[in-house]
This record gives sequence, C-alpha cells and structure tokens, in this order.
Amino acid sequence: MSSPVDHDQTCSASEQSGRCELETNLDVLRKIPVFSGIPLQRLKLYAYLCKRARYGAGEFIFRQGDPDDRGYVLLSGRAQIVREYEDHSVFLNELHTGEFFGGLALLSDIKRLFSVKAATDIDCLTLDRESFRKMLIQFPEVGIKVLDLMIRRVVHMEEKLMRKHIHECIYG
Amino acid sequence: MVTQKSLFSWVLERCRGLQLLLIVMILFTVFFRVFPLEMQKRIVNVAIRSRDINALLTYCGLYISAVVTAGILKYVINVVQGYIGQKILYEMRDQLYAHILSLPLSFFRRTSPGLVISSLTSELSGPGDFLGSALAVPIINLLTLIMFVGYMIYLNPLLAVLSFAMYPLEILIIPVLQKRYNKLNQDRINVTRGMSNAIGEAISGMHEIHGNASYPIENRKLDGFGSKLFALRHRMNKNKYMVKFINNFFQSLGPFILFLVGGYLSIRGRLDLGALVAFLSAYEKLYDPWKELMDYYQDFQDSRVRYYQVMNYFDYSPEFQLKPDEAREPYLLKGKIEINDLDFVADGNNRILDRVSLGLQPGEQLGVVGLSGSGKSTLAMVIGQLYSYTRGHVLVDGMELKTLTKLDVSHNMGYVAQHPFIFDDSIKENILYSRKSLSLSGHDEGLPSRDEILRVIDEVGLTEDILRFGLNSVLERKVQIVLARKIVGIREEFYRRWGTQLVDDVEFFDVKRFLHYTNIAENISFGYPNRADCELEQLPSNRLFRRFLDEVGLTLPLLDLGQQLAKETVSLLEDIQDDQFFFEMSPIARDELEVYSAIVELLSKGGGEHLGRKEQDAILKLALRFTSSRHKMAALPSSLEMQIIEARRLFFERFAAEDPGAFIFYHPDDYLYTHSLMDNILFGHLKADRPRATEEIQNHVVNLLHEQHLFAEVMEVGLSFQVGSKGDRLSGGQKQKIALARVLLKQPRILILDEATASLDNRSQTRIQELIKTELKGKSTLIAVVHRLELVKDYDQIIVMKAGKIVEMGQYEELLTRKGLFYELARGS
Repeated sequence: MSSPVDHDQTCSASEQSGRCELETNLDVLRKIPVFSGIPLQRLKLYAYLCKRARYGAGEFIFRQGDPDDRGYVLLSGRAQIVREYEDHSVFLNELHTGEFFGGLALLSDIKRLFSVKAATDIDCLTLDRESFRKMLIQFPEVGIKVLDLMIRRVVHMEEKLMRKHIHECIYG
Repeated sequence: MVTQKSLFSWVLERCRGLQLLLIVMILFTVFFRVFPLEMQKRIVNVAIRSRDINALLTYCGLYISAVVTAGILKYVINVVQGYIGQKILYEMRDQLYAHILSLPLSFFRRTSPGLVISSLTSELSGPGDFLGSALAVPIINLLTLIMFVGYMIYLNPLLAVLSFAMYPLEILIIPVLQKRYNKLNQDRINVTRGMSNAIGEAISGMHEIHGNASYPIENRKLDGFGSKLFALRHRMNKNKYMVKFINNFFQSLGPFILFLVGGYLSIRGRLDLGALVAFLSAYEKLYDPWKELMDYYQDFQDSRVRYYQVMNYFDYSPEFQLKPDEAREPYLLKGKIEINDLDFVADGNNRILDRVSLGLQPGEQLGVVGLSGSGKSTLAMVIGQLYSYTRGHVLVDGMELKTLTKLDVSHNMGYVAQHPFIFDDSIKENILYSRKSLSLSGHDEGLPSRDEILRVIDEVGLTEDILRFGLNSVLERKVQIVLARKIVGIREEFYRRWGTQLVDDVEFFDVKRFLHYTNIAENISFGYPNRADCELEQLPSNRLFRRFLDEVGLTLPLLDLGQQLAKETVSLLEDIQDDQFFFEMSPIARDELEVYSAIVELLSKGGGEHLGRKEQDAILKLALRFTSSRHKMAALPSSLEMQIIEARRLFFERFAAEDPGAFIFYHPDDYLYTHSLMDNILFGHLKADRPRATEEIQNHVVNLLHEQHLFAEVMEVGLSFQVGSKGDRLSGGQKQKIALARVLLKQPRILILDEATASLDNRSQTRIQELIKTELKGKSTLIAVVHRLELVKDYDQIIVMKAGKIVEMGQYEELLTRKGLFYELARGS
C-alpha cells in the first residue's frame, strides 16, 4: 500500500471544476458518525462505491413495507419521515442536510418500517447493501466498527421508542 | 451396456471393411519387406560375382521398387490405423458419455466432475490410440518376424537357431516386469482420480478458500497426491526402461554370435559371403518387428489397465429405462397419483421416507410442508422420478412409476428445484431446454412460437427483466440492421412526445454539449469507430488521431488526466484486487492493475517525462476511457470540456478529409452501434441519478414499443442475453423464474415445485401463486414443497411431514384448528 499521508488531496481538483465526486462524497461521509471512525484510506472506498440520487419535491425515496437495499445521506433539501396507516399517515420527523437514514437496509433484507418523502427537491448519496457487504468482507476490522455504531444507533432508537410508549405498555 | 464390453470387442465390431483392407495391405508389406533381402543376396552372389551389369541393374531396380512400395504401403497403413483408432475412440466416448448421463443421481453424489472429465478425455485416449493398431501391429510384425526367421532358416538353419536361442528367455522375463508395471499403473489412475477430486473440490469451494485464506491447506492436499504420483511415475519409468534394457541387451547378443559362428563358417568356406551379408541384414531387420511387438505389448497392457479401470468405475445400471422397448408414443397421463406405503432408504439404513401414503386426483393441488430434513424434498424427487424408491408404490394413472420410462415421465412431468441449474447460454435457450428435449425425442409438435414463449415469460413475471436486458443490449453491426432501422424510426416520435419534458433526466446527444455519460474518446469524435484501428484501445497508436490531438492542444491535458486517473485508481484498488466487484466503476480493469501500478511507480519517481512511449499510450488510453459520470476519482475542468466540444468540428473535418470511413458520426438518422438500444431510442443517455425518472422513461419507451409493434422484437433481443456460466449474470430470482418458464412451457400434467419460488420477491411470488390458483388449477396435478405456509392456503390438500412420516393431512383451515404441528409451524413463521 502506498503511504496514506500524501493522499489527503484526493483527485484532480483543477482550478475551474473544483473537486471530483469521490472527494465530495468523502467529505460527506466523514461527517456522519457511523462512518467517521473509518480510516481515510478505507473511507475513500466507501466514497467510491456511493452513488448519487435526485428526487423531486413530493416524491417518495422509499415506501413503508417496500424492500429496499440502500442507505441514504441527504445532501441538500429536506425530507419527511412518515408512518403510514391504513386510513391516515403520521408525520414522525424531518430530515435535514447531512443526515444518514435508512441504514438498516444495509444490514439485512428487511422491509421499510416507514416512508421517506422529499419535502423539497433533494439530492442524496446512497450506498447499497452489496457494496456494504463487500467492504465488510474485505476489511472486517473496519466493518466491525461500522456495525458496532449502527447497532448502537438501533438500540438508541429502540430505547427512545420504549420511553415514548412506556405508559401504554404498562396498561396494554 | 457399454461398460461391459471387452477392449477387443471394439476392434472386432467396428470398421470391419477397413480392417480387412488393412490386413491385405499388411500381407503385401510383409512380402515387400523380405523381398529386398533376396535381392541383396543376388546382387552379391550373382551380379557382382559374374560381373553381369544387366543383372545388377535389374536387381537394383527391383530392390528400390520394393523398398519404395513398402514405404508407401506403410504410410497408408499408418493413416488407416490412425483413422480406425480415432473413430473407435469417438464412438467409445459418445457411448460412455450417454451411459454416464443415464446413471442415477446418487452416483454423482460420490463422483466428482473432475473424475468424469479425466476418464472421458485423457484416460480413454490411450486405449483409443491403441485400438487403431490393435490388429495391424501384431499381424504385420508377427508375419514379418516369421518371414525373416523362415528366410534365415532357409539361409542357414544352424546360425538361425543359434541367433534365436535368446528369445525364449526374454519372453519369460518380460511379463513378470510388466505385471509389476500394471499394478503401478492402476495405482496411478486411482491417485490421479483423487487428485482431480481434490482440484475439483477446491475450485467449486474457491470462495471458502479465499474467505479463510486456507491456501496452505489446499496446497497440502494436492501435494499429498502430487508426491504419490511422482513416486509412482518414477517406479513405472524404472520398470518400463528395464524392459527396454533387457530387450536391447538380448538384441545385441545376436550379432555377437553371428560374427563369431558365421565368421568361422565363412573362413572355413562353409558359408558364402553373400549369405552372411543377407543373414546379418536379416538379423538387423528382425530388430524392428521385435521392438514393435514389445512396444505393442506394453501399450496393450497399459490400455487394458486404463480401459477396464474406467469402464469398471462406471459399470452401474441406470435406475430407469430411458425409452420404451417397443415402438410406441409416450403415454399421455391424466395426472392421478397414488402413493402407498412408500419407503425411501439412503445409505443402507437411513430411512428418509417412512410409509408415506397419499392420493391425488388429476388436477388436484398438494402442499408439502414440514421442518427441514423431514423428507419433503425427497418425496418430491421420488415423485419426479429423480430417485428410485426402496419399498411401496407410487402409481401414476395406475401405473407403477418405477416402470415408466424417462421419455414417458419427461412428457408428462415438470420438476423445478429450489436451486435450478441454468446453462451457459442465452435466456431463450435456457427456457426452451425442456421443449427442445421433447422435440428431439421425436414425439412433440416442435418448438413453441415466440408468442407462446412471451406468454409464459409474462406468466412467471420475467417480462420486465427481459425487456431491460433487451433495452440494454448493444445490437450487432451488420447483423441486426433491420431492427436498428426500426429503432431509429421511433426516435423522432419519442423526442416529439417527451423530449422537452425529459431534458433534466436524459443527456441527449447534442454536438454543442459535453456528454457526461460517454467516454472522452467518443466525446472528441462525437461518433464511433468503424474500423478496428480506430477502436478506443487502439487510438493512442493511431497516427492521425495523435496528430489531431497535438494540433488542438489536447495531448497534454489528456495525459494529465490519465496520470491522475492512474494514480487515484491504483491507490484506491490495489488492496482489493481479488474482487471484480470493485472494478466495475474503475477505468482500470482488474487484470491491468499491475501494469498501471508499475506506471504509477515510475511517475512517483520522476514525473511524466520519464515514461516510455508504451507507458504514455497506456496513460492516454485511460484518459480516453474516462466517463465522468462513472469514474468518480477525477473531475474534468470545465475549460477542458469546452476545449473538447470545440475540437469536434475539426475532428470531423480532419477525418472526413484524410480518412473517411474511419468513424461514423452521431447523427439523428443513424443507429449508434456502440450504444444500447435504449440510448438509441432516446438518442441520448438516461441519467443514472433519478430512480423515479428511469422508471417513468422506461414506461414511455415500453408504450411506444407496443404502439409501433416493436415490443416483441426487443424482447427477442433480451431473450438472447447470455447468462454466463451457471447463470452468473442473473439474480437468484431470475434463475428461478427461468426454471419455472422452462417447465411451464411444456404444460406438464404433473407439476412438482420444490421450493421453486423461494428466491422470488413478494410481488413475483404472489404472481406465481395467482397463476397456480387460476391458470394451472385443474390442468396440472401440483405437488408443491413450500416453506412459507400462507402459500398453500387454497390447496386441495396439505401434508405435514416430520422425520419422514406424514403426521397431519388436510386443508389449511382444518389443519389450523387442529392445533398440531401445522399450527405450530404457522405460528412460528
């Protein structure tokens, strides 16, 4: 492996066009807690495997109950997390630029527990499960770190959920 | 059965006419071999002694014509021999392979592919070569030998007897050595088999080996066989050359005796000189047939061992008859199934099915559920006649299943396994597989029409996949001209209807814009190569092109870009060379990484000026491949994009003037053979980052194709998609759908699905379920092994299995209310 030091400046940043996609992806990933612990040289590979996606205002990024194999980072715009019931929907939360969501799909082939809808035109960075798994296989020591943080996130959410519903549970 | 034929029966039964011809030619050759000896004697004794020039010329003439004739005959004999041998080998292989294919599945559980391959290829080729010469060589050489011996006795009986005295001794010693050799040879074949097993296993388990980095373990396994093989081979060689040594030794004893005794007799005047010369020549000539006989003997032994070793290994009978004995059409079954006290015992005492009984009327649907290992799949396989059964009865339309031939079964049953096998061919060939087999048996109405194929594809939910394959296909130049023209025909219509609305989602091929979804080479030429030397890979060494790059000042910026790409890509991917996956978004292919690593090394030492021409070209090639939407590791400055756009006009002028016909330029009225069908309809490229738009545009395209009656043709293109080895390029779901289509296409009276929808997504599974409920209901008797219980809700009958027994039987609701195992399974899942 070549020395990691001299690679901080990744790509052909030329005067007019600025920076390459890999570089901007890398900057985004670095700011996301789940990925922040990964050494730069490896994080670059995640940045390399990410893809861009655009959605118009009002479009669904994914729907509750659908299978999906990607995790998303919101690059620009706002999106809403919505829980859909048979006759109505409940607005749960709003997502802002730089937030990572839908990451559970990277771990397993699950159905979405909620829908995400673009509130404005939005840009996303996405990573699919196959890429994520390939990285896990190639660099288990890095993968374990990511998994660890992801699972913490899930536990944290569960905790929040429990606290929210605790009064219902006692009687329910 | 082919495996019980003796080695020589092949010689005696095949090519009889040719063999006869061979023997006749041999008789002549033998004569022409001895005849020159007599001439020799006469030249010395008659012509030279009586100083008769005429006689000398006559004898010499006869001598040379005999020698030439013998030579020509020998050539013809060799050719015929070779022909016979190869012909026999060809038939032997065909027959043995046909036999192997008919062997029971259980046989292949313990037999590796490697063993079958080496048996059919290398092990059999020795006997094949041998068989060609099996008759000719012994006859020709024995006869020659006898003729020579006879001639020598005629010359001088005493000398003859003396010079042959050694041979009986040799005949005693050599077979003993040969026997040892044969034993070693047998061992060698067994070790080689072990070795091919080990290699075969390692290759099919390669992911496990890579995953565990267990290279040393596998190496050691092979090394075990390798060293054994080495030792065996060495001992075999020692044996073989010992035989040769003994043979040579006895041979050279002959002249020794001849000179001693013959010389003595000659001095004493009891033997004339001519006779001695002829005698010596005769003895020398004796060596060849004798040696050939010895070689033949060794060859024969070797072939015998190989042949029987191979044949014995495959000497099993098929479980079922392939075709009916009498000439009759295959049965047309109604699909009634009755199973009485069916047992299936594997490996002697492992009871997998235990007194299973059930009955199904034609058209009824049976669901088979249970824990894994309960015998569900085995039951399905027994009903599908893939396994034979030990005890009990399976009656189909009242006939015992065991006694039906494979032909009957294949005409009436369809079986889909959980992991169906997909052959390395097009989707179409894979789907037609079952129908093709039926039509080859000669009892079928022939191959299905395109509409029939498309209908089945739609039934199993493959239409979208195939359409996508079709739209992504690159048409073959000069072959698919008609379709190409039709596609160009709908281009304008598409643009007229949706062009303006899709500006954000499609990158139309516009000469005034830089194309981010197209590589730099085509961005510069705004066209595609029409000749091999203008292909992207060759462009760096195309003089005209290089001159053009210099002229428009693009050489340096492109070399910069190439260097950048090389550096970034090598540093990114050098640690993960073993997985092709990571190279899909890379301008450097996996097998090129090493070359570019070396170039990057050079660059880091001394910069771009130190590169040789070859390296410069490689760097330029990388830049030409660069597609900005795909290769994220570099970005083009917008000034360079502008420069490239401006260069297009000059490029067009230059090439139109100096090398017209080198490129075909993008034109709204021409098909672009370097682009996919979809790109051609759009005259542009779909931007990848709008998932919703992609769907929408695809719908537009499909509608348009339907309107213009082109849909079936595009599907046809999609059907010719090559699936790769074992269907590598397909998803698990696609493979299952293909297997289902394959079976549905033959509309079997009895359909067996062994978790055949397990890899499908929910939507496709529902679709198949719907098909079973409506289309197939009443038409085919269905036996479906399923894991997800809700799939069998509407079935006529459900059996629940546990440890080889049916523990519950009934309909869905009935079984739920019984609160037994089915209820538990339903609750658990």
